[in-house]
Amino acid sequence: MWSAIKRWWQTHKARRKPWTEHRYIALDIETSGLDPTNDQILAIAWVEVSPPVIHYTTGRYYLIKHDKTDLKQSPVIHGLVKKDFIETSELCDVMKALAAALNNKILICHHIQLDWRFLKQAAKHCDIQLSPLALFDTLAFEASRLKRQQHHIQRGSLTLSACRSRYGLPEYDSHHAFSDAVGCAELMLAQGYKFAGSSKSSIF
Amino acid sequence: MQPEFTEVQRFLLDCPPFDELTGEQRQWVAQNIDAAYVNEHNVDALFKQHSPALYIVRSGGFDLLAPDGHLIERLESHDLFGFPSLLSGRPVVNKLKVIEDGIIYIVSAAMFDKLRQHARAFEQYFIRAHGQRLLSEVARRSPREVGPGRGEATVNADASNNRDFNETERLTANASRPSVTEKSPGYDTLELTIAEVISREPVTVSSTASIREAAELMRDEKVSSVMVTGADLGLHPTSSKLFGILTDRDLRNRVIAQGLSYDIQVNAVMTQAPATVYGRQTLMDALTLMTQHNIHHLPVLDDNDQPIGMITNTDLMRQQRSEPVMLISAINKADTREQLVAEAQHIPAYMQTFAARVHDTTMVGRLLASLTDSMTRKLISLYEQEHGVAPSAYCWIAFGSQGREDQVLSSDQDNGLLLGNGLNEQQLEWFKGLGEYVCTGLNECGIPLCPGDIMASNPDCRRTLDGWLDRFQTWTESPTPKALMYCQIFFDSRMVHGNKRLYQRYRDEVAKLGKSEFFLGNLARLQVSVQVPLGLFNRFRGTESGKDSDLINIKRYGIALINDIVRIYSLQAGLTAPQTLVRLEQLRGSNLLNRKDNQSLAEAWQFLTQLRLQHQLDIWGTDKSKNALDPDELSTLTRRQLKTAFRIIKDCQQGVGLKFGRIG
Repeated sequence: MWSAIKRWWQTHKARRKPWTEHRYIALDIETSGLDPTNDQILAIAWVEVSPPVIHYTTGRYYLIKHDKTDLKQSPVIHGLVKKDFIETSELCDVMKALAAALNNKILICHHIQLDWRFLKQAAKHCDIQLSPLALFDTLAFEASRLKRQQHHIQRGSLTLSACRSRYGLPEYDSHHAFSDAVGCAELMLAQGYKFAGSSKSSIF
Repeated sequence: MQPEFTEVQRFLLDCPPFDELTGEQRQWVAQNIDAAYVNEHNVDALFKQHSPALYIVRSGGFDLLAPDGHLIERLESHDLFGFPSLLSGRPVVNKLKVIEDGIIYIVSAAMFDKLRQHARAFEQYFIRAHGQRLLSEVARRSPREVGPGRGEATVNADASNNRDFNETERLTANASRPSVTEKSPGYDTLELTIAEVISREPVTVSSTASIREAAELMRDEKVSSVMVTGADLGLHPTSSKLFGILTDRDLRNRVIAQGLSYDIQVNAVMTQAPATVYGRQTLMDALTLMTQHNIHHLPVLDDNDQPIGMITNTDLMRQQRSEPVMLISAINKADTREQLVAEAQHIPAYMQTFAARVHDTTMVGRLLASLTDSMTRKLISLYEQEHGVAPSAYCWIAFGSQGREDQVLSSDQDNGLLLGNGLNEQQLEWFKGLGEYVCTGLNECGIPLCPGDIMASNPDCRRTLDGWLDRFQTWTESPTPKALMYCQIFFDSRMVHGNKRLYQRYRDEVAKLGKSEFFLGNLARLQVSVQVPLGLFNRFRGTESGKDSDLINIKRYGIALINDIVRIYSLQAGLTAPQTLVRLEQLRGSNLLNRKDNQSLAEAWQFLTQLRLQHQLDIWGTDKSKNALDPDELSTLTRRQLKTAFRIIKDCQQGVGLKFGRIG
């Protein structure tokens, strides 16, 4: 009980720091479908960010081991080919590593709802607690920004690459979990520096 | 586990010198770098925290500024910075200004050192870049490196595509390899040195020998010419000095036809102080000299001015695979205007194969000038056949690119006539006819008419010595923008045909007018007003916006600007040579233009000429712009070299502004 209160207090205090003083984990997962209860995580990638720097040494990429690798009879799922399944990791080992990485950090994803649901499901399965300081969704940020500026949001204008191109960020070959994690990290930095401006403000 | 960083690796592969690393080393770089989003809010703090380091621009645009605010370099995607401090150990003093937010990769000092230790080519690149010697990589490809055993030389696989700078860079970066074999299978024999092709010992005769003795020697040695030598009364008593040359033709025209005694000394009938070449010069040099002077024999000297042989036009003709020599000879042999025009139709195709083959691309401009000279002379002689010889001494003068010998296939005519004084109507009519005949003839031969009408067919370009000097004086004394533009063309002149003495007087007088400080001041201010591109991509360029859209004009913003800069120093020094590289050579030791700038300008000029030539070969037969390049289509290294060239031009342009712009 006491530790829970202490944790809450620390979190509360931490949240009031300027956004640039936080540390973040930008993450992307590849799944076999859109339903966290029936579909599986195929790959997870993440990288640590301490604005304005993305630390490539902290980059991680795991292919998750599954019993049947002929998922949905398709040789190519989200850009993953069968040969990619050779070196795989146990889901729970990966979740353990992720839980450690997320400690005291803010989790960033593009369209975080989906990823977070899959992650929570996996954490439950492995009996692991994922407790990031906060969640930040680059897609939601962009959507509300565009709405605030009274743009009509066109179909496809909120994909990661569409959002990135609005900030002049380079084009990446997407659909690889790690490129997308890095891409998401860069997008978050661009959003932060462009719209939260100087490091004083908080974006949460 | 760590990912493979495919995206970064692909980028690094296109970002020299990281392409020199092994796949494993590149992987290691990708796994250990930091990537920063750089923005005006964080730029200062970021670099305070992360320096010294090697920075790689991934996206965005940034200005690297010296402590005094002077722009060192505009950085775009794939550009590197920060390494000078890493190499020299001196503290970082330059500042970065954000033009457009972007991603910068940071390679820490420790990583950089480790890479230097393990990848020699990687280290070499930075040492050259630090010494601002990136452009000299192109200059290294001069024909001087071509070894003697041409056919059988082993060609390294890397060298097979000799027109790719990237390949060349990789090739020369591997400095431990012997350089003699750095040669592509195709090249032109005109790039051989003269010493390589002269086959026999020099045949010499003493200047005090009799004509008969000389003729006997020529008979015994089976040669058509001899060199006439005498004791060198200078420092080397044992060596001999070339006094003159005696040819079969001299024996016929000057001795037999004149009925001279065969017992008089050869020095009475020889050609004194003949044109000569050095053994280290190329066959192209010999060819240029022969066509310019319309001679067939050239004595060859070593570096101590000792005769080592004779090179003749037959020697040149004997060189297989040299269409240009055949072409010039065919032009000289044409009997009618129709024949000449028919021969000239071969020029574009010949030039294309020649240009693709030669290593030293300045040869292309020189050869085109030689061909244009030959056609001009042929047209003049055809006109004289029809209309009788010229009624007075005169000179046919080439201006602009033909004068400078940096012609390209699309260059138009720039020429004029220098006439004697006191000509009557009828005589003037003869020259009018000549101007029209030659200019239209050249046009038929494929040298387009000048849209600005700088041609001998225009009465304004047919003037007496005083007439021309009046014109130059008007330009130098009231330098309107138009006058200054004319000066950029007319001060680069060369005589193609006519009376040497007349031309020399003209050129010397023009040189005097060109030294006017008032004039140079105005010329300098005009030059400084041309903005040199800072970056290559349109939004970072900083020149008149939208004018060239996405393309970058390397003639207007490159080659022409160097010609202008070099011209102003040459005018100040009173030099009369028109060729930019020759001018630079003559300017060595000048107090105004230091040695380093001199060399940099020469390298930048050669690089840009090479780049333009390659571009023109690439777009051959299309209607794409002949002088404008798409930066997206250039390799990363070429882009960096191009920026280096622009930077040199910008610095030297500022130098011109400081040294001349305040006067007048």
